[in-house]
Amino acid sequence: MSLLIRIKRHSWMMATFLTALILLPQDAPSQEEVASAIRRYKDREVSSGYYEEYEIKPRRQLPLVGVPGVSRGIFPYSPSADKIGTRSRLADSHAGIKFYERRRCDECHGEETKDIHTTRANLTCRQCHGIEPIAGINFYYSPLNPIRRHAYVCSKCHEGASASFAGYVVHEPAPGSPTTKETFPTLYYAYWLMLVLLVFTMAFFIPHTIMVGIRELLSRKRKAEHDDTDAT
Amino acid sequence: MFHLCLMLTFLTQAATGFSRLFITTPWGKKSSNVFGGYETAYAIHQWVGIIMIVGFVLHLFYLATKIRWQNLSESVFGPDSLVPTWQDAKHLRQRLGWLLGLEPPPQLDRWTYWEKFDYWAVFWGLPLLAVTGLMLMYPVAASRFMPGWFLNIAALLHTAEAILAVLYIFIVHFFIGHLRPTSFPMNEGMFAGSITLEEAVHERPAWVERLETKGEMEDVGPPPLWFRVLYFIFGYSALAFGLYILINGLVYSRYVRLH
Repeated sequence: MSLLIRIKRHSWMMATFLTALILLPQDAPSQEEVASAIRRYKDREVSSGYYEEYEIKPRRQLPLVGVPGVSRGIFPYSPSADKIGTRSRLADSHAGIKFYERRRCDECHGEETKDIHTTRANLTCRQCHGIEPIAGINFYYSPLNPIRRHAYVCSKCHEGASASFAGYVVHEPAPGSPTTKETFPTLYYAYWLMLVLLVFTMAFFIPHTIMVGIRELLSRKRKAEHDDTDAT
Repeated sequence: MFHLCLMLTFLTQAATGFSRLFITTPWGKKSSNVFGGYETAYAIHQWVGIIMIVGFVLHLFYLATKIRWQNLSESVFGPDSLVPTWQDAKHLRQRLGWLLGLEPPPQLDRWTYWEKFDYWAVFWGLPLLAVTGLMLMYPVAASRFMPGWFLNIAALLHTAEAILAVLYIFIVHFFIGHLRPTSFPMNEGMFAGSITLEEAVHERPAWVERLETKGEMEDVGPPPLWFRVLYFIFGYSALAFGLYILINGLVYSRYVRLH
């Protein structure tokens, strides 16, 4: 008898479960994506997309591993590694940097995190620069190497991106700085042209407008006084 | 009608554009939420931009119909035209003298030099915003015809020109239109299509004289009260809206970059 009741109860549960499966809406991953800050990028790549949680850390390298005959301990794997100035051609552009795995990108690349891809599209560094070890952008196999950047990186979001499109400078220099005059002169001159236009326009029209206001007030006052005199 | 359309589209573009520009600030986030979020604000910005471009093209056609081809020189450089002439430079000099109390006010005609400046600022500003805006809307297509770094220049020009326009309109143009003693509480000419004779004689005596000489002065009477109430509400709403954007833009300006 009790077995029959149990089966009956289970069949009700099964029926409820099946009804729920049929009637309730299906799983909607988009709901989760809308709530997520990194949703715009997630559906365009194969990795988890949770960079901050899972992929921010660089590869594991034991701090006590040393290079035989060169150095030992938690300090640079090579005594000269952290002194390399140009790292854009290295397979691991951060090789030898002290305590690298405990650092965040923006500690050293603060300015680079203020571009519109980061601030508006919520992209994280590794979404374009790739997983650890992060290759220098001119390293032959880097996804950001100009020969393949458009296909490997830009086109993830900008479908049909060409090599010309990849010429867009994501990490723009400060447009008004003297170094930009050397590295990106058109941007530099465009910035100063617009700034001069803005300053001259406002520098002329704001005082002009204020003076018009004062002058018209005075004229009106004089006219009122004149009218009063005429009336008396 | 063109001014009304321009007003509505400009205010929408200022609100949606600034909500994008200031998206990293609490005010920017709040503003974009009014439009349904960052993406929707961007979509509205794009569509209203297209409407502005269409309006500009229609305006060009309108201008073409207004030109009297038989009398081209008078039509383009005459007193009813908005094309700047040497007379405007002379008026500017005289008015600066008047502002400093050195000479009598200039005998202005139908269009004053500051109104011509407003008109031409829009006339070159709108195509600049349109071209750079289209480049930013379709960056992949644009980069087929030009190097990708042109998009950096386009973004800078678009933002800088928009900031210039917002500052000029919300500070100078609004003051001239609403708050200076001659216009206060509002320059009704924009909506009513006419101004009082007293105002015309006071500020544009050369125009009044010309119309009287030609016998073209019309007595149109004041607009109906309901219409005046309507455009006063509309005008002051636009003014309040503009000041709100201006003040918040200035407060949060240190958090944004032009590039």
